[in-house]
Amino acid sequence: MTLLNLRRAVALWFAALFTLVGIPIWYKLTTIYRAPLPSTYIGSIQENMHSDIHVVVPVYVRSDTYKFPDVHDAIQAEVNALIEARAGRLNWSLQVLQPESHEDLNPETDHVLTLVLDDFTGYSIAYDSKETAVFFDNEAVVSNDVPFFAAQTLVEHTFATEWEHFSHPSRERDDATTEMAISYSPEVHLSISLLTGDGRPVAWDIDSTLEQYFTPLRRFLAPIVNFTVDTSIVQFNDLNLGALQQAHNPSWLDLAHTVDLSDLSSMNHYREKAVLNLAVVFPSAASGSLAFINATSEKPWQSFMVPQWGALVINKDPLPDNSRLTQNYLAPVMYNFVREMFQFLGLSSKSADLSTPYTTIDSFKRVATLKNLEKGAHTLLSLTKLADQFPQMSVPRQVLDNVERALNLRLQIVELLNDPSQGSESTWNTALRLSNNFVQVCEKAFFDKAMVQQNFFPQEHKIAVYLPLLGPLTVITFTGLIKVLREKDESEAKRDETQKESEAEGDNNDEKQILAED
Amino acid sequence: MRSLAGAFFWIVLFCAVITATTSIDEDLNIPNEAETAGNAYQTCSAECLSSASEEISTDGLELTDEEIKVASMGNTSDSLSLYESSESIKYPFHEQLTLRPLPRSFMFASFEFLMRSNNFTVGEKESDFNAYRHYTVFPKSLSPLLEYTQTRQLHLRFTHGRWDSESWGQLPHEGRKSGGTGVELWAVIEAGSKDDAFHNWISLANSLSGLFCSSINFITAEKTTYPTSYSPLSDESSLPIFNTSNSLFLIRAALANEPICTENLTPFLKLLPTRGRTGISSLLDGHKLFDSNWQSLSLDVETHCNAGKCQYHMEQFIEMVFNVPNSLARADTPIPKPVQESELRCDPTKPHDAWQCFPLPQSRDTKFRLSKLFGRKIIGSSLISEYPSKVCANVTDSWKVFIDVNDALFSTEDNCFTIKYDNEHDLHIESTDTSNVVEPEPIPLFVSRSLTGYGQDSGGLRTVFRNPSNETVEASYFETLPWYMRIYLSSLTMESVDGLEIEDVIQNTYYLPAVDRQRPTHLNFKLLIPPNTSLALSYQFDKALLKYAEYPPDANHGFEIESAVVTVTRPISYELRTSTLLLSLSTPDFSMPYNVIILTSTVMGLAFGTLFNLMVKKLITVEEADSRSSSSTSLKAKLAGILGKIMRTSRKVDVEKKHQ
Repeated sequence: MTLLNLRRAVALWFAALFTLVGIPIWYKLTTIYRAPLPSTYIGSIQENMHSDIHVVVPVYVRSDTYKFPDVHDAIQAEVNALIEARAGRLNWSLQVLQPESHEDLNPETDHVLTLVLDDFTGYSIAYDSKETAVFFDNEAVVSNDVPFFAAQTLVEHTFATEWEHFSHPSRERDDATTEMAISYSPEVHLSISLLTGDGRPVAWDIDSTLEQYFTPLRRFLAPIVNFTVDTSIVQFNDLNLGALQQAHNPSWLDLAHTVDLSDLSSMNHYREKAVLNLAVVFPSAASGSLAFINATSEKPWQSFMVPQWGALVINKDPLPDNSRLTQNYLAPVMYNFVREMFQFLGLSSKSADLSTPYTTIDSFKRVATLKNLEKGAHTLLSLTKLADQFPQMSVPRQVLDNVERALNLRLQIVELLNDPSQGSESTWNTALRLSNNFVQVCEKAFFDKAMVQQNFFPQEHKIAVYLPLLGPLTVITFTGLIKVLREKDESEAKRDETQKESEAEGDNNDEKQILAED
Repeated sequence: MRSLAGAFFWIVLFCAVITATTSIDEDLNIPNEAETAGNAYQTCSAECLSSASEEISTDGLELTDEEIKVASMGNTSDSLSLYESSESIKYPFHEQLTLRPLPRSFMFASFEFLMRSNNFTVGEKESDFNAYRHYTVFPKSLSPLLEYTQTRQLHLRFTHGRWDSESWGQLPHEGRKSGGTGVELWAVIEAGSKDDAFHNWISLANSLSGLFCSSINFITAEKTTYPTSYSPLSDESSLPIFNTSNSLFLIRAALANEPICTENLTPFLKLLPTRGRTGISSLLDGHKLFDSNWQSLSLDVETHCNAGKCQYHMEQFIEMVFNVPNSLARADTPIPKPVQESELRCDPTKPHDAWQCFPLPQSRDTKFRLSKLFGRKIIGSSLISEYPSKVCANVTDSWKVFIDVNDALFSTEDNCFTIKYDNEHDLHIESTDTSNVVEPEPIPLFVSRSLTGYGQDSGGLRTVFRNPSNETVEASYFETLPWYMRIYLSSLTMESVDGLEIEDVIQNTYYLPAVDRQRPTHLNFKLLIPPNTSLALSYQFDKALLKYAEYPPDANHGFEIESAVVTVTRPISYELRTSTLLLSLSTPDFSMPYNVIILTSTVMGLAFGTLFNLMVKKLITVEEADSRSSSSTSLKAKLAGILGKIMRTSRKVDVEKKHQ
């Protein structure tokens, strides 16, 4: 190898090291860490939402009078046909089982369908257990209608909530009911306030009323929602109802743009994410009674619902001085509020009431679990979208860990839901708890504070800072390389030189000739 | 028909709830295991229907529990008391306004609000089924905050302005209710460990920051101290511990550069049950309050427990000192204008005409109304409080104070007035000798602190103590310095004209050195200052360099050093604070990092270039180079060639010219 070739090789090595090792290492070391999020997997979860879920609810069928040996299979077939007839967003089915013995059944924890021989056909759902009674007469037995009655009762009435949510093709209806309801949260704070428009002394028997009427409800709803409750008497706040007095012919429709809830909603430190309010408002004596309130002497108030906020109980007349609201006043207010609260919690829709609390709450657990799964999946999808849209944003390891934890939790929930051998009340409770956890972990992954703060450091900035180093190095390496490549070998150079020399000699000869002419 | 349906619905709902109740209550002992749920439903529905039918027949309205009970017994009652008229409903709230004229036409006004919370049980979880929190006069916004940060005592001070103790005497409440300039916060927090306590403390500071619209969230570990003997707590033995395995931590921080303004007053007023709408708080207006020479907002919450039941006691003070003639003049002409010639009070003993006037000293007569000072009248009393609102004037005989109710003036013996009902009240104050005021309480100790030295790398702190009394004063000097003031305690010296030594004065020293970016210097001296002496303690410090991101934005005037706290324990109990200090640190050129990068890069580029050339370029001897350059086809040679050619052609031309 000649010297020149050696030099060329060295220059090439420099250039190759610079481009193939140096630049990538520099890039790697100065690039922010972005954990590889499983975005395809998350995308597929979002796209085929619930495709891997098949909710199975076991139902025990028993018959008190007749013994039908094949009724379980017949009901099962009818139920399957009914559910399959309406393709919904989610696969679900009922598993009709035969109880091993009647004593084993506990209608408070298991869904039980009892076939009762009666003079008419019909059904009834108990409000203190998860039992559905289907009444049939002998004619129905003869025409073999009992399985169909039973299946229809189960699907369309006992499991009406599932039928509504799972077997409904579009999500429109879903959104309509959630307009009023707060997003589901296992912990809800309830703030009950007595507001008076002026500073006159008032009191209320709220403690005894709550203990008598609300404590049992808290206990009952404990599996799905835990309440923390505070009550307060607020003076000088009539939610701006006094302004209505100046309006011409005010009606309750004006409330929407007059009521000022900011004072009640701000300056609070609730630890719970979801807050419901009940405000019992008395107008101030100065502004007088509110004519538009449809009140009677026994019910001097009217209740209004504020979507996702709570209920307003507006009284027609100001409260007399030194008066104490008794239980007689507060109990109907509480009843009314409890009914509205089921709507706020999403337990019942506008028209329905909670006449069958056990089955409704059981269904609510399933619906809430699946809604949580959807919510979490949306959050994860948003996270991957965010990570894609901001290529400069760091994605810390912790985010990936949380995403993985969330996906594992999801699998765990799906496994629970899909397992037909389970399905007791505790399963739904566990699934709901896990799904709450899932939502929480998803949100933790999304709201990682390390992710956004690095976003203000653009790529151009990096180039600008490193240009004083990269510039000289690049110039030196590549000009050096080009120069050494263009340099000719010594033998070639010599040949060139001799050529040039001969040319130069020719020139000299011309000069000599000119001089000779002189 | 609709009412019937409504009533039926009510009954069904009622039944549902009640049965739900009973069935859950019975969950534990399961009385009727054999009874099927269906039967229970039937029996209940029968009951409900029967009661419903009775009820519908009477009036068809909603049912209350009372009604149902009555209905099921077969008796109907027409009169229902929705409201019960109590004798009088009173809540534990008390408010009082005290006015005290100070020398040189100043006036001190103190708004005092005391309130107590409802009882709460120790150890009761909020999520317990029968746990309900009730609030009446105690602010709902504060209580959960204290609860989840496990704060047993909370003290917050917003102070601004200078208290002229030389002429005004002692600070109000022996100095216990006013902090140093800026915000001061200290709390007693119950926690299992110091880390837990700190975690709660930060959470408390952040929450208070939102509540009071101030930058309390800037409190971090590097501003937080754990005082050992600072501000003796009212009675330490009475401090409750909810969990016996925990201990109590006293934590303190101050933000000297926090401006106090109207946005801090509004949340203060919102904490009151009257919300600034009635009672003495109706006088408070941000513009007037923050126009004053000195103002202080203070908030103290203490937990008091008795046999498992606890209660928060809260004291709120809003205090100010304003110059009466100035405030009155501003009330008359909000935009300052020169005084009319006719209103000028010239000294008649000196020449005066339209162009010159030697003003007389300020008149000693005064006559004004409270509504002119505050811009508003007192709108009625706080009707819910145990005691009616009170206004007191602490004046001497040369002052006359009347209360104006419906244009009628009344006076009392002790100059204390009770505000009644919802009438508008005003105070009429007049005096023939404004210099005759209640004798100010003597100050046990004067303390002033200042920065010494020059230059940007070091400085000194000098604190002068002066005991004007005839008794030895025992005091504790508490100082917190930021970590970027690196003090040398070894340089502590004392100057005294009376020849006192350090050992005579400093009885005890507690010193916790700062850790960079982690904790401040915590210095506490126990001092004994002999009567009628004055002494100065001084020590030196170095100024540290900060990281470039730690400097405040360009438009700043320096670093505020919070006031030192002096607590006098003998002969009287008194607390005072020095003024804050302004420390200027050397500020680097912030383009420096970029310069450094460029310089380093250039050096690296040079080094690399040398190395690269050494390895890639060909090395030859000097002789070889010379011979090459002579015969080289380099640019130089080419240039020489071209030059030669030009020369030759020009010579040719010359030759031809000669020929011609």
